[in-house]
Amino acid sequence: METLCPCWVGEHPAEPKPDRVIYLVRGEKKTRSPLSQLYFCRYCSELRSLECVSHEVDSHYCPSCLENMPSAEAKLKKNRCANCFDCPCCMHTLSTRATNIPAPMPDDPTKTTMKKAYYLACGFCRWTSRDVGMADKSVASGGWQEPENPHTQRINKLIEYYQQLAQRERQERDRKKMARRRQCMPMAFSQHTIHVVEKYGLGTRLQRQRAGAPLSSLAGLTLKEGEDQKEIIIEPAQALDEVEPLPEDCYTRPINLPEVTTLRQRLLQPDFQPSGASQLHPKHKHLLMKRSLRCRKCEHNLSKPEFNPTSIKFKIQLVAVSYIPEVRIMSIPNLRYMKESQVLLTLTNPVENLTHVTLVACEEGDPEDVNSTAKVMVPTKELVLAGKDAAADYDELAEPQDFQDDPDVVAFRKSNKIGFFIKVVPQKEGDTDVLVSFKIRHDFRNLAAPIRPNEEAGDATTEAIWLTHHVELSLGPLAP
Amino acid sequence: MTDLNKQIPPKSAKIATGAVVCVESEIRGDVSIGARTVVHPKARIIAEAGPIIIGEGNLIEEQALIINSYPENIMPDTEEVEPVTMTIGTNNVFEVGCVSRALNIGDNNVIESKADLGRNVSLTSGSIIGAGCHVNTSEVIAENTVVYGASGKRRVQSEKPQPQTLQLDFLMKILPNYHHLKKAVKGGTTPHSGWAAVWVHNLALGNVSLLP
Repeated sequence: METLCPCWVGEHPAEPKPDRVIYLVRGEKKTRSPLSQLYFCRYCSELRSLECVSHEVDSHYCPSCLENMPSAEAKLKKNRCANCFDCPCCMHTLSTRATNIPAPMPDDPTKTTMKKAYYLACGFCRWTSRDVGMADKSVASGGWQEPENPHTQRINKLIEYYQQLAQRERQERDRKKMARRRQCMPMAFSQHTIHVVEKYGLGTRLQRQRAGAPLSSLAGLTLKEGEDQKEIIIEPAQALDEVEPLPEDCYTRPINLPEVTTLRQRLLQPDFQPSGASQLHPKHKHLLMKRSLRCRKCEHNLSKPEFNPTSIKFKIQLVAVSYIPEVRIMSIPNLRYMKESQVLLTLTNPVENLTHVTLVACEEGDPEDVNSTAKVMVPTKELVLAGKDAAADYDELAEPQDFQDDPDVVAFRKSNKIGFFIKVVPQKEGDTDVLVSFKIRHDFRNLAAPIRPNEEAGDATTEAIWLTHHVELSLGPLAP
Repeated sequence: MTDLNKQIPPKSAKIATGAVVCVESEIRGDVSIGARTVVHPKARIIAEAGPIIIGEGNLIEEQALIINSYPENIMPDTEEVEPVTMTIGTNNVFEVGCVSRALNIGDNNVIESKADLGRNVSLTSGSIIGAGCHVNTSEVIAENTVVYGASGKRRVQSEKPQPQTLQLDFLMKILPNYHHLKKAVKGGTTPHSGWAAVWVHNLALGNVSLLP
């Protein structure tokens, strides 16, 4: 999904270019994505994509004032910032501007003094709060109120009633589950329950409590003890026979086009959905959240951002590019149907120790090889990649390591990168892109795994395991 | 009279006293600039296909281009084309890098950076053409209209934009400290101009000799 910046002038972009090099993720669902978008669980030693990890909310923050907000407070304020507003016309952030107005002094009504009056203004579409008739406030922040929804009370009552209903349903469900699994460990809730979609927003706190405990201890922060026993009764909605008739000049009145709101402007204010631009009031800015990712199999965190909204760094960042060697396309010659051509690829080693990489072409009938439209001949010899040396640029005296590369296979070698050739024979004629796939097998040293108390003394290095990944390359269309 | 106008095309701009026009700005053709107007360096005002009349209190920023050019389908030398005057009113702001070919611009308009106005657009008063917006329809834009967004969305605002008096005052004090200004020139080739123009006119006709 892509978003255009509002200041962009020019043609809209063409279809986004397809990703050139994609890796296959063997999760519950087989997804293919470029390595830059994948994560690597070093406890399971497998690639993970965004679809096979669980996303959890880490913290909330406002994108314009960068103020952090605890989750409970965010829920209370409906995930909106208290200080910042959005322009109802173009959804930009509103800024507060001040003007000087003459106002009578409090002591002496005859003299006038300049007092500051504040109003909200949008820098992009020049909307001001005076356009909808909101009076200027005398305080810079905190004076602006959103208009009250006349149906708030009824909605709140309905929400309470349904929350209670959901709570009761969940208790019954869990009681049944516990009755069936009496022999199990007292770990009350299975993995399944934690991931179950919660109804009506009760909160995960309640899910983690132990079942069988008395009802009162299950009360969340919002309910007091004893109140949850009380039944909430709501009146059912009543259907009316008469509906407000349309105005008489509905069909004949000429439309004042600047006054009509667009659908987007209207739906951003679901409480009122005004049809006229003079009733568009600014809303508080929506909060954004930082999320952390967790591997579903081993429950380890794959990505955990910093808590501070102003920091873009991560506490834990297990991205695939820093563990798996990356294949990139360097140059593609003219590809012709059924003619063999050489494509130059590069392999980059992200880790600091020496890595051995073997490429294997896909066999006939490989279930993972679905999309390829060309035959590929990969180098049979094992490729050796030097480790990534951070000081390589500065260390002029370092001797270049001698690897004795076969010049037919290896085109060049530069610190931790190597360029090599593969031979491609396109098998399909026509407009489709030439797609090539092969398997890449490399050794991975797991530095995260705990060093076992090994009987073999002196085994200080961690053992290497061999990982195999399925890579697909998109080489573009055939030459005309 | 019209023949003489063609024989002596006016070369210098008519700059009223009180206008601040920097020397680094490029003013070509018959341009008259009103009082309290500030023209920044590197602004370009080019009157090719007719004169340009700029009113008072305008602010023309750097790299703005106000051009009265021939419509695209007419070559300059083929036919005799009537020169069309471009009129710009008072208190307008032409922000950095905008291009304006519009023939009629009223008062209190703001043309934001990198906006592009076509020849047939007419701005009345209080309009704001947003940054980067291209407006080349042939229409009269109503009062207090704001054009914004990549797709040229429009809306009507309730009040006209504030005139930039503070900015103008500041610039009129500061710019002369750092730039040479073009001298205020009165007169030109209009029939009602002063004695200097009449003298030049007679000189061209050969009625007056330069030798003492």
